[in-house]
Amino acid sequence: MRIVVIGGGAAGIGAAGAAKGADPSAEVVVYTTDTDVAYSPCGIPFVHGKEIDSFERLFLATKQQYVETGIDVRYETAVEAIDPSARTVTVAGEGEVSYDRLVIGAGWEYADPGVPGADLDGIYEVKYIRRAMEWDQRLDSCEAAVIVEAGPVAMEMVSALLHRDIKVTVVDPAPWPMADVIDPDIVEPVRQAWSDGGVDMQWGNRVTAFEGDGALSRVATEAGPVEADLAIIGTHKVANNPLAAAAGLKLGATGGLIVDSRMQTSDPHIYAAGDCTEIPHGVTNVPLQGLSGSHAYAQGKTAGANAAGGTRHYRPVYVPWGMLAGEWMIGGVSFGETLATALGMKHVVGKAQGITRARYYPGVKPITVKLLAEPETLRLIGAQMVGGEGIKERADFLAMAVRVGITAEELATMENVYSPAIGALNEPISVAAQNLLAGLAGSQ
Amino acid sequence: MGGGFSQWLRSNSELYLLVDAQRRVAARYGVPAPAGPRDLRERFWRQVFAPGYRLLPWSVRRRAIAALPGSHRRDWPPAPPPVSAREPAV
Repeated sequence: MRIVVIGGGAAGIGAAGAAKGADPSAEVVVYTTDTDVAYSPCGIPFVHGKEIDSFERLFLATKQQYVETGIDVRYETAVEAIDPSARTVTVAGEGEVSYDRLVIGAGWEYADPGVPGADLDGIYEVKYIRRAMEWDQRLDSCEAAVIVEAGPVAMEMVSALLHRDIKVTVVDPAPWPMADVIDPDIVEPVRQAWSDGGVDMQWGNRVTAFEGDGALSRVATEAGPVEADLAIIGTHKVANNPLAAAAGLKLGATGGLIVDSRMQTSDPHIYAAGDCTEIPHGVTNVPLQGLSGSHAYAQGKTAGANAAGGTRHYRPVYVPWGMLAGEWMIGGVSFGETLATALGMKHVVGKAQGITRARYYPGVKPITVKLLAEPETLRLIGAQMVGGEGIKERADFLAMAVRVGITAEELATMENVYSPAIGALNEPISVAAQNLLAGLAGSQ
Repeated sequence: MGGGFSQWLRSNSELYLLVDAQRRVAARYGVPAPAGPRDLRERFWRQVFAPGYRLLPWSVRRRAIAALPGSHRRDWPPAPPPVSAREPAV
């Protein structure tokens, strides 16, 4: 059995490892246009910000380790075409290569800002590690940067650039940071911290051109020019599917490849995983494209195991997420008020402000938890949080709570760990649920 | 329904329903709202499509969403029943 994998990111490497695990006799070949695999691109902003001292620390495995596990990784090698009927791929420098099963983990690209001057030197898409290494040296001499839309990676880059003493201007047509995901009350501490740090925030403004003589010197916007020698692209993720589309594989309305729970595409011999696919949301059944690295890796493992003859199933997603934004952690599950309002879903809200440790214990941080529930059943449907710590664990817990149908009443009476160094007497999730119920009682 | 049309519909409806929702949520929290529509196209999506979508019952919206091509129309495990509806483990 020959299993060909397109893409060396989390999905592709997850698929290759799982395929080899499910069928050690399988020949597994990974084609990637990148110079490396098995590194954490999500860690790049933290190296730029000097929280992590070296890019080498982002590598999870060496090239030799893949050789030893029998996975044949072909670096800097592009797959140029897929022929599903012949079960071949056309590979640059190799010609036609046959497969028994194909796994597509082609990933994503930043959405094109669609403005002139995008080919100027000085425009940086934070994604590839070798490019990041080159950029890291250049950041020492950068003076002013424009963030072109405050997506998640770009938000992390704001902190990194501030740590490097680079003047930062955020230009985003949205009214607040990550406004497609986060509610304004939750992101307000981050916005305030940026303001205190000297970030020039131009919400409701749009970039209209990148200008300069060979290299970027100015970013034109609807509200006027901004002097800058660096622009960070922070637009949303789009699925990287030109190959799959040309091969006739079915794409969904998000642009992601249509897959079932086995991660099988519209062709029974082709599987797909990660940001090039779309996955149904567990609450709404609306397909989503552009999730996290942990989603991509888990999907890749499912796709790879099944490509090797297994019967693994992935599940609809509830999307726990979290990230560091300066001194604050933000996160959530499923959706907040903005997204629920956009979908037209009826919801009730409960919110609480609490602390992450005993009030007297060193390092105690504030935390705000907001819960959303269905009005009739009181089932939890979403949550958002901001705080100094403890966001990731709560997001993971709440994602499972949404998945299994926990109600606000159950959360209001939940038990919680109390230990001064790691948890306060009152768990803010529980208090938010109690406030949700109190709000309902008060309105009746 | 062709992929091109469904992608066009999804990307525009998603964007402008979000903008409409941001306006509503911004009013709720007293923070700046998105800028007004810039041209006729935006005016249609924000002042005709978004209010029209809101008038539809949720069941109709669900059917419309379900009609678009996508992974949701393939086989996926159903959501588990609420924990309150399950028997004790032991």
